[in-house]
Amino acid sequence: MDTTKRLSCDDTVRQFFAYLDRALTGEPLEALEAHLHACLDCCEKLEFSRKLDAFVRDRLGDEPLPERIEERIRRRIRG
Amino acid sequence: MRQGAAGVIEMDSESQRRFEDLALPHLKSLYGYAMKLTGNAAVAEDLVQETFLKALQAFPTLRNSLHIRPWLFQILSRLAIDRHRTENREVATEAFEDLDRFSLYDLIGQDDPFPYSDRLHDDFVAQFRDEEVRDALRGLPEAYRVPLVLLYTEEMSYRELAEVLGCPVGTVMSRLHRGRKILERELWECAKRRGLVKTWTPPND
Repeated sequence: MDTTKRLSCDDTVRQFFAYLDRALTGEPLEALEAHLHACLDCCEKLEFSRKLDAFVRDRLGDEPLPERIEERIRRRIRG
Repeated sequence: MRQGAAGVIEMDSESQRRFEDLALPHLKSLYGYAMKLTGNAAVAEDLVQETFLKALQAFPTLRNSLHIRPWLFQILSRLAIDRHRTENREVATEAFEDLDRFSLYDLIGQDDPFPYSDRLHDDFVAQFRDEEVRDALRGLPEAYRVPLVLLYTEEMSYRELAEVLGCPVGTVMSRLHRGRKILERELWECAKRRGLVKTWTPPND
């Protein structure tokens, strides 16, 4: 059976991020993977989404704490 | 802990100290999160201070102290969303269908900014500076930015995000999808502003 017919490319793309976030299970996951096995175009788009997501994540960086912030917070919550 | 004259729960010094011992170790992560949401040190610190105040007041309702970290992130997230709700900031009123159709991948392919590259899409993405990516993320309405930043920095599951936002898992899924689509669009706009692409416009359907 042609499994790509079960899920269109549009439907597949709509679930890319849930797939990348490992939020898909069971039948939706199987249908998406079946589509990917048969559709090179969607595989390339998925790879782009994966890379872009990692790129953004890596650019968020760490923020240094402002000086004496803990002291200010302690003072405020102690009233 | 005791009920005060005005009905306000007053903390004894023991509970207060317990709260500080449990909550303050998360200060750095909370501040980092607030900075990613707001991009402004003063606003971020204010948000964090409000979070600790609110958490202290609600501390007696926290059943399991092991849950304090997601609980603090939940308080900060809701404060951030509510703040913008009261400022009447517009929340994603654009047509979702247009947004769903938006594809940065396709636009890069059509514009072809690096005709001789065999890694066209990678080369395109690599041009963005850290600050541009952060600005693009801050271009998202809070309802989309909050779950996306929590996913990126706290690696929360969809179920945890649903709890933080107080919405169904399906809503989390669509917000994370649309949030990334808005982000792609912001990056494309940034590329146009910087002249990294020809200002190609898609034909009307």
